[in-house]
Formats: sequence, C-alpha cells, structure tokens
Amino acid sequence: MRYLPSAPSEDRALLDAIGVGRAEDLLKGIPPELRLNRELELPPQASELDVLRTMTAFAAQNRRFTARFLGAGAYDHFVPTAVDMITSREEWFTAYTPYQPEVAQGTLQAIFEYQTLICDLTGLEVTNASMYDGATATVEAALMAVRQAKKKNTILISQGLHPHYQEVLCTNITPHEGLKLVQVALKDGVTDLEDLKAKLGPDVACVMVGYPNFLGCVEDLKAISEIVKPAGALLVSVTQEAMAFGWLEGPGKLGVDMACGEAMSFGNYVNFGGPFLGFLAVKDAYKREIPGRLIGQTKDLDGQTGYVLTLASREQHIRRDKATSNICSNQALVALRANIYLQLAGPEGLKGIAEQNAAKAQYLRQRLLALPTFEAVNTQPFFNEFVLRYKGDVKAMQKACADEDILAGLDLSSYATALQGCTLWCATETTTREQIEHLVEVLARIPSLA
Amino acid sequence: MALRTRESLIFESSVPGKIGMDLPHLDVPAAKDTRPAHLKRNAFEALPSVSEVDVIRHFTRLSKWNFGLDDGMYPLGSCTMKHNPRINEKTAALPGFTESHPMAQDIHVQGNLALMFTLQEWLKEMTGLPAVTLHPSAGAAGELTGVMLMRAYHLSKGAHRRVILIPDSGHGTNPATAAMAGYDVVELPSREDGTISFEDVTDPSTGKIRKGFATLVAELGNEIAGAMITNPNTLGIFEYRIKEIADILHGIGALLYMDGANMNALVGTARPGDFGVDVMHLNLHKTFSTPHGGGGPGSGPVACIAALEPFLPRPVIVRETTKVGEGEVATHSYRLDWDRPESMGKVHAFFGNFGIVVRAMTYCLSHGGDGLKAATLRAIVNANYIRKQLTGVFHLEYDTPTLHEIVFDDSIQTKKGVSTLDIAKRLLEYGFHPPTIYFPLIVHGALMIEPTESESKEEMDAFVDAMKKIAKEADENPDLLHQAPTTTVVRRLDETTAARKPILRWTKA
Repeated sequence: MRYLPSAPSEDRALLDAIGVGRAEDLLKGIPPELRLNRELELPPQASELDVLRTMTAFAAQNRRFTARFLGAGAYDHFVPTAVDMITSREEWFTAYTPYQPEVAQGTLQAIFEYQTLICDLTGLEVTNASMYDGATATVEAALMAVRQAKKKNTILISQGLHPHYQEVLCTNITPHEGLKLVQVALKDGVTDLEDLKAKLGPDVACVMVGYPNFLGCVEDLKAISEIVKPAGALLVSVTQEAMAFGWLEGPGKLGVDMACGEAMSFGNYVNFGGPFLGFLAVKDAYKREIPGRLIGQTKDLDGQTGYVLTLASREQHIRRDKATSNICSNQALVALRANIYLQLAGPEGLKGIAEQNAAKAQYLRQRLLALPTFEAVNTQPFFNEFVLRYKGDVKAMQKACADEDILAGLDLSSYATALQGCTLWCATETTTREQIEHLVEVLARIPSLA
Repeated sequence: MALRTRESLIFESSVPGKIGMDLPHLDVPAAKDTRPAHLKRNAFEALPSVSEVDVIRHFTRLSKWNFGLDDGMYPLGSCTMKHNPRINEKTAALPGFTESHPMAQDIHVQGNLALMFTLQEWLKEMTGLPAVTLHPSAGAAGELTGVMLMRAYHLSKGAHRRVILIPDSGHGTNPATAAMAGYDVVELPSREDGTISFEDVTDPSTGKIRKGFATLVAELGNEIAGAMITNPNTLGIFEYRIKEIADILHGIGALLYMDGANMNALVGTARPGDFGVDVMHLNLHKTFSTPHGGGGPGSGPVACIAALEPFLPRPVIVRETTKVGEGEVATHSYRLDWDRPESMGKVHAFFGNFGIVVRAMTYCLSHGGDGLKAATLRAIVNANYIRKQLTGVFHLEYDTPTLHEIVFDDSIQTKKGVSTLDIAKRLLEYGFHPPTIYFPLIVHGALMIEPTESESKEEMDAFVDAMKKIAKEADENPDLLHQAPTTTVVRRLDETTAARKPILRWTKA
C-alpha cells in the first residue's frame, strides 16, 4: 500500500521493539468477542491509475451543461486560477486548526484578513472564522439572538428565506422546547410589512429577512429595521448570494444587528452544494456571544505583531455544555479561498463583477419576458436572480433546455402554492449573451400552449 | 536566503488603482440602476487594491509560516493527521463534480448520487451499522445529527428523556452538542484504568463522590436518553465494557452514541455495530485522509441502526435496480427521496461537504478492505512504538493497553518547573508539530500523541530522539524550554491581552 511506510525489516524492528510477535497482538485491549473475525467485504486495494478511472467514471455519469441558469443558493461564478493554485500549497490545505500559533501564523493572519473582509462586506464589526454553510449560519444567528434576548422565545422568519435554510432552522430549533418559529408572509416578492407588524409582539427575539431573498428580491432592510427596532427585537439579514454585497449596501449600515449567510460565491465551485462557506457577522456588543473560532491580533515576547485564537472561553473545548455552540472544525480552507478571491477582486473588481451579474440578469429577464410564455410576478429590484411565471409545462420546458445542454431555472411549484408555475432564473458574469440567445431560441421553439 | 520574517497585512499594501482581477468583456447593456438609493453599495473600507502578483506573493509568504503535514510528523492526538493523498485532490477537482449543481434534477447528478451511495455502503460495512447519512459537515455536526436522531426516536415512543451521559474524558463537542440538542449533561467518571467507572469514584483532591455509571442508571433510569462514548477513548484505550454498557442502556430504553473520532483504531478490526452502538459519527477528515484545511472543511457522516433510519436527515439516496434478463448486468439508477415523514429534517442547505465525500471515496478505493485494515494495524503499531520508546522518559498515567494514540503527562518535568506547554514549544524548534496538549482534561498536563499509520520508523525515531533530548534539557537547562520557541517567525504570544482587549479585524489608522 503506497501510503504506508512499511518495509518487512522495519516492520519487524518496530514489533520487536514493542515486544510483540505480530501487530494483531496489540489488539489485546479489545475483548476477542467484540473483534471482527473476518476480513472486510470490500474490494481490494487499487493503484492510482485504477482509482482515477473509477472516479472519472462516477464524474462522467453527471450531466454537464454548456449554459447554466440555476442559482437558488449555489452560484456559478468564475474562479480565478490563483485561488486554486495558492490553496493547493500543502502549508494551507494539510495543516489543522492553528493550536500552535508560532507555527501557524500564516493561517492565523489569513483568517484575521478574512474576518476584516467579511466585516467590510457586511458593514458589521465582528465575524468568526466561518460556519459550515448559509443554513447552519442562520441557525447559529437565531440561537445567538435568543441567548441575547433572554426571555423572548419567538423567532420571526420571513418566508423569503431559502426554503432549505428554513428547514434546517426548524430542525435545530425544534429540540429547544419553548422556542417558536413563526413565518412572516411575502407580498409582491418581499416581506409583508403589515404581517410583520402584526406578528412583532414583545415575545419576539429576532426577525430574519433575506437580502436578497430566495426569490432574488432585494428587501428594504432599512424600512424593516425601522419597524423591528422599536419593538425591541434584533434584526438578522440572511444572504444566500454574498456576491450581492458588491451591488448592495452592507446590512450593518442599514440597521441589522447580525448578518449571516452563504459566501461560496467568492472563489468556489457549485460542487453539488459543498464545501460552502457560512458567515456570521455581528455588532461589537455581541463579540463574546458569537459562536466559532475568532482570531485576534496581539504581540509576542519581543513585541512583534502576531495572531492567536482568542475569546476561547466561549467555545466547546473550554466551556463544554455551556459553550455558545458545539462547532469545532469549520470551513477554514473555503474561507481562505474567499479571502484570496476578495483580495484579487478588490473594491473595483467586486463592484464590477457585481454590476456584470446585475446586467446579465436584467438582460436575461428582459429577453425571457419578450417571449409570450413568460410573465412577471413581482416588481421588486433584484440582483442576479428573479422569478417569472412560465405559462406552460415547466418540466417539459426544463427537458427541452436540457436536450440542448442548457440547465434551466428552478421549478418553484413545489415550494409554495402561490409559486405554482413559477421559475427562478439566475445569470452571473459567466453567462454570455450567446448563451442567453440560445436559451431564448430553444424556449421559443417549444410548441405553445393549447 | 533568509525567508521574510514579516509580511504586513494586505490592507497596508493597498494602492488605489491596482487590481488583481480583470473584468470579463461585458456583452450585454450595462446594468440599469434599479436599487433604491439607500441600498446602493457605498465605499469599501478594507478591500485592498492589489495586483495578482501581490496576492500570490502575499499568500506564498504567509504559507511559509505554517507547519503542514508534509513538513513532518504532526502527531495531534485525536486529530488523526495522516497523509493527504494527492489523487484525492485531483478527483475532487474533476469538472463533472465541481460543476454539478445541488438543485439540479436527480437524473442530471447520477454520478454524485452513485458515489455517495457507494461510500455509504463502504461505511456501513466498516461500522457494522445498516444506515448512513453523509450530510453533516464536520464531527460536531455529526454529533448533533446523531443526538437529534436519538431525540426523534424517543419522541416517536412518546418519551421525553432529558439526560445524556458523557464520560469526563470526552471531547468538549460532546457536552456542547447534547446541550444544543436540548439535553442536560451528566458526567461519567473515569476509573483508575482510564475507562468509564461503573462504581462511584471518590475525587482524591476534593474528597467528593462522583456517581458511577451503575449508580446513575439506577437513579436516573428512564430520564436517560442515552450515552455519548468515544471508543477507543481519548486515552487511546478501548472501553472494554462497551457491550455491557450498551446492554444496560438498552435495558432502560436508552441508546448508545459512539463518537467515532478515533475510528482509525478500529477500521477492519472491530465494528461498533457489533458491540451495541446504536448511532455514531465518523470524521472523514480524520480516518479517511481528507485534508484538514487549516481548520476545515471536514465531514461527519452518521451511521445508525435500522430503528433510527426513518429519522435520518432528508433527503436520503435510494437506489433502484432495473431488472434484466438472465445473464445481463443489472443497471442502477439513483434518486433523492424527500418523502420521509419521520425525518428529523434537513441539517445542511444541500448534502453536506460533497467535495470531502469525493476525497474519502477516493481514499477508500485506494486502500480497499485489505489496505484499510493494514492502515489501522500500522497506526496501532506506531502509537505503541512511541509508547514503548517514551515510557519512563515521560510519565504515563494509565498503564492500560492502548491502540492508536498514547497520552503522557509532564509530571516528571514539573519537578524542574517545566510544563507541557514548554515541552510543546521546544518541540517546535526540533521541527515537529507538538502533540495535542492539555487534553483529555482528566490527565493533568496531557501530551496526547497520535502518530497515525503515515509515519515511518525513521520519522518516529527522530521524534522520539527529540522528545528524549527535551526531557534531558528539562532536567539540565529548564530555562531553554521556558524561552522556546526562538526560531519561529514569532515567539510566544500574549494571549491574555488578545482576549482582554480583542482586536478582531484591521481598521484604517
């Protein structure tokens, strides 16, 4: 086995030094009746060439598309080559959590820079080293809000949150008896402010709103904040497409107390949904309550600047069952990718890419609406995603697209009765005009309705 | 040539006008500004203006301050820092995988579903448990999923049990997880051989009596939802009464959760399903060689008994076999089953850290059943070799047979005023990553060493040699250790001030 540094003479020397005849003798701590008395019924070891063939065959069974118009929480952005190249250095990808800061200053400084960038994008003051994904970051934000609010037990969630995030939230809130999740309805694609006011009682710990929301609509956080603040609840924005921060103001500047969501768009592939990058940023007042790893700047014995894991007394390895969360391993390497991406982009690049996303999505929407089979369902501003109703068989339309190597927008029919026949379309800087025209051509060819 | 000893924060190198990413040609009309004025992005305060050259040099220089697995032995106990095969990176980067969309229809992601299904089958065989989910993103996420499975199971029986038993040697994520799942934690004491005590234990320092497993079961009875037990435990010791513990728990309707962080000691030699475990998690980033990434991403699949399967996170992968005529090969198709009325719900926005699953599948195929077992045995040999070489040089609190890791402490060295921290810092100067230190909590000044199967005799001999020299230095020149490290890019850092006056981001001066 090529990964085992095994040679008969040395293996013997190791066993002799230990004083056993064979390796199996070292299993004596496991009672014999609890051991596996047969070999594993699995295929035998394989060469690198054979493994590569098997894995390539798996990958080949996936359908690849030349044009992709599907977003819904996983966005197809260009990944600069430098991101893959830098992160393939062993110093980055093989190391573990920086428990020994003197030999992990690279990782520590990089996370400190990442924290700085996420704070800049969100307009908030403190963020952690990462969460698993947008959905679990949303859970941690809700739990944190409830801890802050002490006796308040209700979490108001806008129906505009990604339905998967809502479900993950529900999974994790359910065990906490006494906590309540209450949905706030949408109106014209955004949170219904009248419904919000009606549900915003004294028991509400926090209000969670998409920015942009699952339907691609940009919620007016400032207007929502002006309703939520006087009621004494915390406002949490949930962003499933962080590229929007190049187009939209940071939620912290609009009155939110916490911003969470998904930042896979910075330097990562859609990759069947993971590894992705959850983020959670909060106001400075909550820094001792935030879950997860935090990196702080300090000095060494010689007065040199350096970085360390800090405020660890919030964490599971110190506080055990009183910790702010159980999170330990996070998405550090994905955060590094985002860090590299954002540094390459800089302020001009990020705004420029975001503007291109908006331009492509606006063009796509305009071209689709020119077809008789599509109609608008709301009037809200959007970033790179939008909903249109399709006046035909959505499944058949998706199939017609797939037959032309096009991945069509998402069928929203199963998500809410109000969304029957609705489709969610996405365009990014990777979408070309040619792809859009091809899509339109394919859609125009679909026999029209009876 | 001397490596740079300082690399400033990138923000300090920013020069307006520089850019590291040229925009693609825009082939559609520029975006109309539809945003309300107050929602329009204003200035950025930190995003740097730098070139691609600047960025690549920045991260290359920073990288050289990191100790990685390929720099040398990285014996962090309970972290299983084994070799990260490069083919895993290559397969995970195949465009067929990286381009596949999590909201695509099942028919378009058959390769992903087949791969996940296959890995689940391998993990079932290794754990002896009949159901697996790959959704949890890390070990702690796996624990949470597992404990919530237990909760769903009890609720389905109409039972509200509030307590989870956890040994004092357990990883901190165990109690944190139980609390996150709404349970009260009751600690199980360890006995003098390092395993869970059935009998009450008197704390030698306080004289306080700590209730043993048998007492707690008798007193709490059907209040107990289950126990979370790491096996082998964090001392590297197999909990040899595990089957008895399982039987007692089952007798009161409770369940046994196994923390599989140390599964590298068991694969191919013993299966949790065979010793009464009902639910457990595995760490693909430990046992299955996926890279640790500077702190993640990991992956924490959960395996469970049939009675817990209905509650698994949705969706689950279903394989459908097309019946064929005699002599023909059956074909399979895969679909995601969302219609799981008893499911605990989703635990990740999509299907967990799929890219990590691809790497673990690659590792499994490379090893095969025989290679997996060989790796386990070699990991155990390596840990016992180090145990043998260092016993007496460093104090070994528990003399019980150990498997894949070994925990020494600093009690010989403290007589000269040298602590575990000093030993760890001095080890950096010898070119090794230190072991896990001060964990498990039940060993004062713990040095927890897990070499894994990846280390050769030569590398271990060099490590042992360094540890022996350090022990000698501790005896003869303790100050050398107090001052360590002096050869790293920074010396010991002021963690107290970092926590008292936290600086958690760069701000413009």
